[in-house]
Amino acid sequence: MTLHPDYPLETERLVLRPFTRGDVDAVHDYRRREDVARFLFDPPLSREECAEAVQQRIGQIAFELEGDKIVLAVTLRESGLLIGEVSLIWRSVEARQAEIGWIFHPDQHGFGYATEAAHALLDLAFCSGDMHRVMARCDARNDASSRLMERLGMRREAHFREHALFKGEWDEEFIYAILKREWAARQGLVGSIASNG
Amino acid sequence: MSSLTLPIETSRLLLRSFERGDYDALCTYQLLPEMQRYLEWPVWNKADVATGLNLMRTQVCLHRPGDTLSLAMVRRGDGQLLGQISLRWSDATAGQGEVRFAINPRYAGNGYAAEAATAILDLAFDHFKIHRVFARCDGHNHRASKLLQKLGMRLEAHYREHALFQGEWDEELHFAILDREWRRSSKIREMHARPRVA
Repeated sequence: MTLHPDYPLETERLVLRPFTRGDVDAVHDYRRREDVARFLFDPPLSREECAEAVQQRIGQIAFELEGDKIVLAVTLRESGLLIGEVSLIWRSVEARQAEIGWIFHPDQHGFGYATEAAHALLDLAFCSGDMHRVMARCDARNDASSRLMERLGMRREAHFREHALFKGEWDEEFIYAILKREWAARQGLVGSIASNG
Repeated sequence: MSSLTLPIETSRLLLRSFERGDYDALCTYQLLPEMQRYLEWPVWNKADVATGLNLMRTQVCLHRPGDTLSLAMVRRGDGQLLGQISLRWSDATAGQGEVRFAINPRYAGNGYAAEAATAILDLAFDHFKIHRVFARCDGHNHRASKLLQKLGMRLEAHYREHALFQGEWDEELHFAILDREWRRSSKIREMHARPRVA
């Protein structure tokens, strides 16, 4: 099957939409920062590099083949401000596996926006995307990211030590994952708690 | 990587390159249905055993990343082939290697696989200067996971339903050990091996 979502994806406070050419400055605003690049494969990006990245993301909106990526701009519903991005990669067609990821502007940390956006993307992956398992990886030192994975109900499946070099140093990496039935059970649970309250 | 002197001798085993004559001994265990999950390639029939043997006979050293060293686990007393063990040099920049083994169930439970794996870890770290050796095993292969833990390898990953194996969801464990951890544990082993002075 393929996945062509209807955009935008909306949550209580956010709108997740495909990137447009007008997003370059907003993307540069977080991708140029050292603290954002610390745990990413890329170094801090110049404005030109951000323009290229945005150009590439404009087309990353659907799953047709294994390896395809969906990358969406996360914007605030009220102001339209672009605060970060979320991504979903189709890792295996046969085993229905996907990988989720996110990058947010540090000024927007602490409001639960990343949780809200990642939640919407997991819904997309398991419902319209019919994925069986979604995994995510992060640097073992990236507490904000691993805590977010745990909040989403993802289980730590791997803790690799010195399995690769990352920016000239030994890497330590976490892999988290959640299965479709676990996600569904969690949504039922959250729903029943909400209705009881 | 520097040249290698084979066979490797342990107290009860010889680890040597594969030979044409190993075909019959390989057939006795590689064709067993329960072995399929643990072999590097599916072995459905005798032709697959022969193809695998031909490949393993060429895997005699690690010259470049991606290379595999495949060795036959042979009992010293009677020359009986008990199983196979391999070391793959998976990544040069980060010095990573993967160890795999399979033993004929008839000879399992005697500590042969542990003895062979100990020799291969020594080889990986001392001779090939690998930084980290990892091993994968099926989530239901309790014997293999116990062995890997006994070797001092740490459980680093437990993937659930991350892939399909012959139409069923797969569960996979990853174990790993770093060079400095292996050296520490081998010093302890040597201490225990030293005869006690009363």
